[in-house]
Order: sequence, then C-alpha cells, then structure tokens
Amino acid sequence: MDRYCRRAGALALAVTAATATGALAQDYVIGVAVANSGGLAPFSQPAYDGFKFCVDEMNASGGIAGKHPIRLEVRDTRSEISEAVKFAQEFVDIGVNFIVAPPDGDPTMAMGQITSPAQIPTMTFAGTAPILTSVGEYVFGSYPADNQQAAVLGAYAAELGYKTAFLLKSPDAAYTQFGPAYFGTVFEANGGQVVGEASFTMNQPDFSAIVTTIQALNPPPDVIMTSAWEPDFPAFIKALRGAGVTIPVMGADVLDTPTVRGLGEVVEGVVHTSGGYPDPGSAHAEFNARFEAATGKVADTNYVVNGCDILGMIDAAVQAAGTTDAAAVGQALAALPETEGIMSSYTFAGTDRMPMRSVVLARIEGGEKVIIRREMADPATMPAP
Amino acid sequence: MTDATVPHPWQAAAEALLLVAVVLAGVLAVAVVFGLPGQRAATLFCVNLCAVLAIQVFSGTSGVVSFGHTAFMLVGAYVSAWVTMPATMLGRSLPELPGWMGGYELPGSLGLLLAAVVGAALALGSGLAIARLSGASGAIATLGFLIIVYTVMAAAQHLTGGNRAFWGIPRTTDLWIAAAAAAGFLLVARLFRDGRTGLMLRAARDNEPAARALGIDPGRMRLRAWVLSGALAAMAGALYGHMLGAFTPRDFYFDLVFGLVAMMIVGGMGTVTGAVGGTALVMALQEGLQRLEGGVTLGPVSLPALFGLPTVGVSLAMLAVLLFRPAGLFGRRELPFPLPRRRAPPPPAPVSGAGGARLVIDRLGKQFAGLVALQDVSATIPAGRITGLIGPNGAGKSTLVNAVTGLGAATSGRITMGSSDLTHATPERVARAGIARSFQNIRLFGGLSVEENVAVPALARGLPAAVARATAARELAHVGLASDAARPAAALAYGARRRLEIARALAAAPVFLLLDEPAAGMNPEETADLATRLRDLPADRGIGIVLIDHDLGFVMGLCNHVIVLNRGQLIAEGTPAEVQGHPGVIEAYLGTRASGVARATMTEAEHSIATGEMQHG
Repeated sequence: MDRYCRRAGALALAVTAATATGALAQDYVIGVAVANSGGLAPFSQPAYDGFKFCVDEMNASGGIAGKHPIRLEVRDTRSEISEAVKFAQEFVDIGVNFIVAPPDGDPTMAMGQITSPAQIPTMTFAGTAPILTSVGEYVFGSYPADNQQAAVLGAYAAELGYKTAFLLKSPDAAYTQFGPAYFGTVFEANGGQVVGEASFTMNQPDFSAIVTTIQALNPPPDVIMTSAWEPDFPAFIKALRGAGVTIPVMGADVLDTPTVRGLGEVVEGVVHTSGGYPDPGSAHAEFNARFEAATGKVADTNYVVNGCDILGMIDAAVQAAGTTDAAAVGQALAALPETEGIMSSYTFAGTDRMPMRSVVLARIEGGEKVIIRREMADPATMPAP
Repeated sequence: MTDATVPHPWQAAAEALLLVAVVLAGVLAVAVVFGLPGQRAATLFCVNLCAVLAIQVFSGTSGVVSFGHTAFMLVGAYVSAWVTMPATMLGRSLPELPGWMGGYELPGSLGLLLAAVVGAALALGSGLAIARLSGASGAIATLGFLIIVYTVMAAAQHLTGGNRAFWGIPRTTDLWIAAAAAAGFLLVARLFRDGRTGLMLRAARDNEPAARALGIDPGRMRLRAWVLSGALAAMAGALYGHMLGAFTPRDFYFDLVFGLVAMMIVGGMGTVTGAVGGTALVMALQEGLQRLEGGVTLGPVSLPALFGLPTVGVSLAMLAVLLFRPAGLFGRRELPFPLPRRRAPPPPAPVSGAGGARLVIDRLGKQFAGLVALQDVSATIPAGRITGLIGPNGAGKSTLVNAVTGLGAATSGRITMGSSDLTHATPERVARAGIARSFQNIRLFGGLSVEENVAVPALARGLPAAVARATAARELAHVGLASDAARPAAALAYGARRRLEIARALAAAPVFLLLDEPAAGMNPEETADLATRLRDLPADRGIGIVLIDHDLGFVMGLCNHVIVLNRGQLIAEGTPAEVQGHPGVIEAYLGTRASGVARATMTEAEHSIATGEMQHG
C-alpha cells in the first residue's frame, strides 16, 4: 500500500507542478473549455478544430498581435455545467488572458458568472442565446444570436406565404426554448399566427405523441419551426415524415451539420439558418480548403470557421487594446466596430456583446446545403432577449 | 481472565482526530504550496470527500454500493440554493419558482441545515423500501432511486429550471468552510463506523444470518445508516452547489455518482481512511489526466488530444483495484492511533438462574416441497443441562435447529419457550427471547476483529459500549482467545474460529445455546479442551445447551440427555446409556441388514456409539 501511495502521490505532484504553473511572461494564455464529449460534442469538436488550427497558424507567425505566443489550457467539460464551472474557476486561478466557453448558452452563462467578475473576457464557441451576455460585462457571443436568426427566418417564413406555424420547444436549454419563441414573435409581427406548440425533453427517443398532436391540427399548420438538435431533430423529423406528414420544417443553425444533411429524404427541403456559406472564391471557401489540406478533415460545418473567427476577434481586441491585459482586452472587444471575419464580418460596438453578423438562410437539397440568401437582421425587428 | 484487556475508550475518537489532522494538514499544504490553483483543488477535494464519506457511511457499513446518494446531493443543492439566494437573483434564474420557496437570503449554515433535514426526510421515506434490501438488490434499488429523483427534479422545471443552468447561487463554499465540513464529516463517519449501529451493521454486512441470529435487525440498521448518510449527502450537495454557483440536475447524475463511487472503491469502501485516500488519489488522477487530454508536448514528444481521458483513466484505476486489491488500496484497517489498551473492567455477572426455563418442541414438522425433513418431532429441553441431538447424516438435526432459531420456519407444530410462541418468530426475535446458536458452517463476521465479533451481540442486547467490551473480554477469556482479541477474525485458525463462534453466542447471554457441530474439524486435543469449557456452563450460568455433533464420544461424554433423530423423526431419547442401548438407534446407525448382527453383539455396538467410532448414515 505504501508503495502505491508513494507512486501515486509523486505522480500527482509532478503532474500538478508541471501543468498548474502560471503563464510565462510572453505567452498569451487562453483557457479553452471545450465540450468534446457529451451532448455538445457535435458542435464543440469542429469549433475547437477550427480554433486550434488557427492558433497553430497564428503561432507560426508570431502569435497574438504578432508577438505573443498563444498557449492553450484545454479542458473538456463533458458537456456538464458543473465541470464548466470548475474549469472557469481554474482558469481564473491560473490567470489566463482569455477564456473560450462551450458552444451553448447555459455553460457559458455559468462560467461567465465567475469569469466576468474577475474581468476575464469569456466568449462562447457558438452559444447563441442572446441572454447569455446578461451575466456579466465580460461575456461575449461569437455567432449570430437566436433573435438575429429568428428575425431573418420569421420574416422569410412570412415571405413564403406561410400563415400558420407550429413551434416545437424544449425547456432543457435556453436555445431550444427561446429560439422558437423568437421565431413566433417575428412571424406574428409579419402577419403569421402560431397555432400550436409542443414541448420535448432532450434525448427523448419517441416523438410519436408530438407528431400525433400535429396531425390532429385542422387545418394543419403551414410550417413547423424547432431549434432541436441532434439526436432530437433526427428522431423528430423521421417520426414526422414516417407518419406521412409533409408540412415544411424550419430549424436553426444547429441543423448545419453533416449528420442532419445525411438523413436523406426526410430532411429534403428543410430550411435553416446558418452563420455563413463558403461561396466560391470567398475567404470562407479558402479557409475550408486550407483547413482540409492541413488537417485532412473536411470543414463541413460553419462551427469550424467560426472557431477561427473567434481567434480573429481576440486578436483584433488585443491589437485594439494595445495590451494583453484581460480587462483591457475585454473592453476593447466590446467596442470593436465592424471588423472583417472569415465567415462574415462582425460588430460588437453598440451591442450587448452579442455580435451583429449576417445570417444565412439555407435549404437542404439532395444532402447538400444550398444557400437561399444572406442578410443582416434589422435590430428593429429583433425580439428582445 | 483477569489479564483481559479492552480497547481504550477514546480509541475511535483518537483515530478519528488523527485522520482529521492528516487531512487538514494535507489540505493546508496543497493550498499553500500551489497557491490559488491549490486552494481550488483543496476546496474541491474537501467537498468531494464530504460526498464520498456520506456514501461510505452507508455503503461501507452495509456493504451495499450506493449509486443513489447524488440524488440527496441534488435535492440538498437546490434546497440550500433556494433559501440562500436573494429574491431578485432567484427571480431571474428561476422565474417560475413559487415565491414562498426561496429568496430568503438565509446564511449558508442554515441552508446546510435545511438541506440536511430535507435529505433525512427523503432518506427516511425512500429507506423504508431500500433499506430492506441488501447486496446487488440494494445497489440496484439505489440506482432506481437516483433515476426517479433525477427525473422528477429535471421535469419540475418551475422548481429547477429543468436542464437549463440554474445560476446565481452564492458561491460561499470556500476552502475554510469546505475544510471545516470535511473535518466534521470525518468525525461523524469514523465514529459512526465504530459506534453501536455501525458495528452491528458491519456484522450484518459480513454475515446477515449470523447477525440476525444474534438479535440484530439488519433492515433497521441499514435504515439508520441510510438516513444519516442521506442527510450528510444532502449537506455535501449543498456545499457542492455553493462551490459551483451554477448547476443543473444533470450535474448530479451518472457522471458524478460514478466519480464518487470510484473514489470510495479505489481507496477501500470499508474504511473512512480508504475514503480519504481514494478521494485524494482519484482526484490527482483526474486533475493530471485533464491536463493531458487536450494534447501535450513534452520535449520532442507530442501527445495528441484525447478527450474523455480522465473518465477512461478513473475507470481503469477502479478496474485494476477491483481485480488486484478488492479491499481497496488502503485495505480494511483504519489509520491507527496507538492508544494503550486498558485492563478490562469487571464485566456484569453472566446471566444465570434461568431456572425452570423450558424449550418445548411440539409435533414439529418441516417439508421441503415433497421431502419430509421433520415429522411430528416433540421434545422438551430444560435449561441447566446439556442435551445432545444426534442422528445420521440427513436425520434432520440442523433442520430442527434452524426451525427453532427462525432461519427455516416449521410447516407444522409449535415451538414455545415459557409463554413465548416462537414457531414463526424471526431469527432476531428468537435471539431476543434468549436462544443463541453457532453454525454448522462457521459464520463469523470476517471484517471485524475477534473482540468486535463478541461485542456485537452484547451491543445488540442494549449493553453500553464499555460493558459490551468487558463482556466480550470475559467470553473470549472463557474460550481461550483473550490474547487474540485485536486480531481480525478471519485470521484465526479453524479451531479458534469455532471457539470464537461459541464466545459470540455466549455474549448474547442466552437461556438456550444451540451448538451445531462445534467440534467439527477439531483435533482430539481441541475437542477435549472444548468439552472442558462447555461442561460447567449449565451449572455456572443456568443455561441449557443443545449439542449437535458427529463425534459421539464428545456428545455422550458431555450430555445429560440425548435426543436421537432419524429420517426426520425422533426415534429415541434418554440418558446416554439409555440411548446407546436403544435398538432403533443401533439400526439407524448400522442399517437394517446389519442390525441383526448388531443385536447379537450389542455390547460392541454400544461401545461404538459411546466412543463415536460408528460410521454415520
């Protein structure tokens, strides 16, 4: 037993001492709380891949602002709030310069309540709930917010001539609860009517009861809108189409994944929002090609390029602040005017730290994402968080 | 007997305090050496330790691995958060929570207290069912309990926010509060383990039938432990919640319970010391692997990212411990504190003067499906003498003993002792009525020391701890095991284990003592020694002994009266001389064909019975 204890203790001390030391003077330390296992993994993994790829590229050219090598402290939250919170405290304790949080509003808010009082800017990988920045002045979004997406999608639904809509929500996440609600608000503001809604539990295996509810509506709604993601959206759409219901379905940016596009006939014609589209010859397309060439992975979702854009936002803020001081960088980031990104340009100035970015409307056709159009949400039509 | 010693009365407390000192010193060292990260790790260690100790209070003493304690943590965390949060913040975070349920801004200490009360109440309600189960059934029941509580709490979205983050909780669990809580939890867990309920429950853990035969109600003991551990777990949950500041019900589900159970098993489930060591080692492993999972470069070697590495590492560690050191890395012994043993105080005089007590067996029958094991067996066994119960293999001797002691209810007839009808009594009620027994297959409490084995029945009959220890010392001296008092029972030689079982039964202060083959496996010297120790008991204590053994010489030499069973029926009874001349007995032992010859040479047969040379069956 003694031998076991000595070895284990020595290992623990060695590992802790080797890794828990503070930042080197010249390093720019970014605490990265990924969710590369668990329910958020389909979004976190590509986002982290894109982020890490660009960190390596930036380090090869001198680091952040061209002079501070970037060092990452990466922790996997396993998509758990409690782990995210623990890592937030750890990042504060070791004095990181910047924090990147998991791609969902809830863990980002949970981390932000700890990191924001410490004045460490904290940006979500892809959380889009506009309320996420309400927990503190140093909490930032990176992707078009739900209410921006809803403003575009709700108006588009009305434009298509839909008069009635059915909303499918889940109270298990701010994203799945409020995304459809924002859509409903905009849709009704454009003359539509929400005629029904249903609630599901995340990871619910059977959607037949909800499908029956929809079938029972007379007349049937013109469109169904949901912010469900994997595995709930696939389960829902299969049950819906399997029951012979052909009502058009609209969704949010979480449908922008190869898994959803690979569902075949059941997702044919599904319209969803997205943060960007790699038009031929665009910086986005060029990035995707560069990423694939370097890593061997296909950048088949926008979360990859957004991961890289996050690093660009940090770099722009550090350059604007003229220092790596966490609080100064946070303040500079909040005041960034429209800045060119790879996926799209972004503007923090004048927002509540959810950047204004263009929203892409896309349709799934033949297993491919086809762009409908790209537009910037009108702040006047965006529902309040 | 006058040299008998007992543990120092402060032994358990001293060991508990030593453990507290070691833990606090370690926590302080980590916090000082590693600065803020060290304080964070030390705080988390203390909170985890509280949770592991809460589980250990139940699982370590009952042997039932609990997967349900994070349900108490979940409830405790929410209860404490509701009452300690400012109303405005609570309104933002849980806008649908009824106003009367929270927003009182109570101090954290009151939040903990309320969590403990709610946890205990929840444990009492659930324990009425769960505590009735042991082993794998109990473990599965605790898992079901977790699933139910989690599902209800996640579905109660107006109370919890569902699986959306509940944030804004006061982060009041700092290092000092966590360390103080860990110290308190350590004291409670350590003293509970060696206390009356803990000791009796550990006895039932090691051998439930034997414990029941000594008057212990395992279900009641498990319920006590479940309620205490439920209250502790709820407090640990509250501490955890106030450390995180934000959580969802999912944060208390499988991942958390897996980590905590791994800590308990890696260190050793049976001891508080193991809980401490396991928590430290597993946390060190988790912290180390967390730093490697994102990929790391060590000189020329670059390791790729492997997310999920901590979970894999902890799983492998637990598997390795279960394979190669099932008792845990820290074994079965607590961290010792060498207080000197004390000379045993005079124990209470052995219960004597049972006087005219009689155990009456009236037309007793027992069937196993179509097999008749006992048929109309009637006998009256008085206290104050040794009654032999003999018969060939399969005669029904052990069946009769089991029926009398409640371990195998009779299918017909009555068993009475005085005015008490014991026909369908539970083993523990039979024990409380004054009947103790030993077992054909030795049933010791292997995880307890020799003296703890004997103290258990004394505690079970309500004696104060000091008196129980003195009683144990007396009975150990009586069977010649005084010098082995502090040894683990499992370390005794075979003959000594037999004697320990007898000492344990005697400590129950029985009116009747049923010894099922007490000399089995003993050599002639040990058998003779045992006969000497048993011979005077009826006269000294007034108890009645029922002695079953295949060593007929041993039986005939000790007994005043002998009952003979064959094929479930009583075929003869009387003095040894009367029995050994009974033709039915001769036939039972030698068989029908041989009995004619036997009758012709009765003197030889009588000699064989008397000296135990006959082949049984």
